[in-house]
Amino acid sequence: MNDSADRAVSPPQGGETHKYRIAGAIAGAVNGLFGGGGGIPLTVLLTGWAKLDGKTAFATCVAVVLPLCAVSAAAYLLRSGVSLVRALPYLAGGLVGGLIGGKLFRGVPGVWLRRVFALFLLYGAWRYLR
Amino acid sequence: MEVPEVKEWLLPFLLGALTGVLSAWGVGGGTLLLLCMTLFLGVDQAEAQGINLLYFLPTAGVSLLFHRRNGYLDTTVFKAAAPFGAVCALAAALISTAADVSLLRRPFGVFLLYAGVTMLLRPEGKENRHA
Repeated sequence: MNDSADRAVSPPQGGETHKYRIAGAIAGAVNGLFGGGGGIPLTVLLTGWAKLDGKTAFATCVAVVLPLCAVSAAAYLLRSGVSLVRALPYLAGGLVGGLIGGKLFRGVPGVWLRRVFALFLLYGAWRYLR
Repeated sequence: MEVPEVKEWLLPFLLGALTGVLSAWGVGGGTLLLLCMTLFLGVDQAEAQGINLLYFLPTAGVSLLFHRRNGYLDTTVFKAAAPFGAVCALAAALISTAADVSLLRRPFGVFLLYAGVTMLLRPEGKENRHA
């Protein structure tokens, strides 16, 4: 409710930096190995371990994962030969979705969204592990 | 009658747009897209991973313009996490492309299980303190 008071509470400078570095390293490893999803351990570590505010953690997470994806994408393009023509419609869709998501972010109710997504992750886990 | 345009263009575009909203919110839209490509659209795991990485660049890029304007970006965290993450991402991607991709199914499943359980168990009190 009190926006300005919440924003004033930021993590202590310096002391948490090693946590940010470790969280970033884990996110990079996951992103490179699985071709995505690095933002999930990053968000979990930034909120639970580094005690960053929820919504700031989500948005900052997007910023951190962006260069990780750029590096990993370059490696994949060089070694695996991903078809850019096949990727194009996903990229165009993502641009539209990112625009809409960015506009709506301030009003997002996080609880239901995370629960629905968690169920989908568990479904995916079942498919991959059985 | 087979309509290749729908499966090759329309469905990928709509899927990209829907998961793009989730990617912009930082709740793992990339993972969702990866699952949909491999489970429903029949894209093989290695190509899906490459497409997923490319897709995140325009999607996250455009959403960050809004996050920055709305004051949701923490530059201290970004400057500490991004360089370490980029080095690990490069190393892991090289390992991933050199190894048999079928070997990755099980660790990926364990990762999804962990992520799903963590998201379900997180207490609600931390939600939307900025809203």
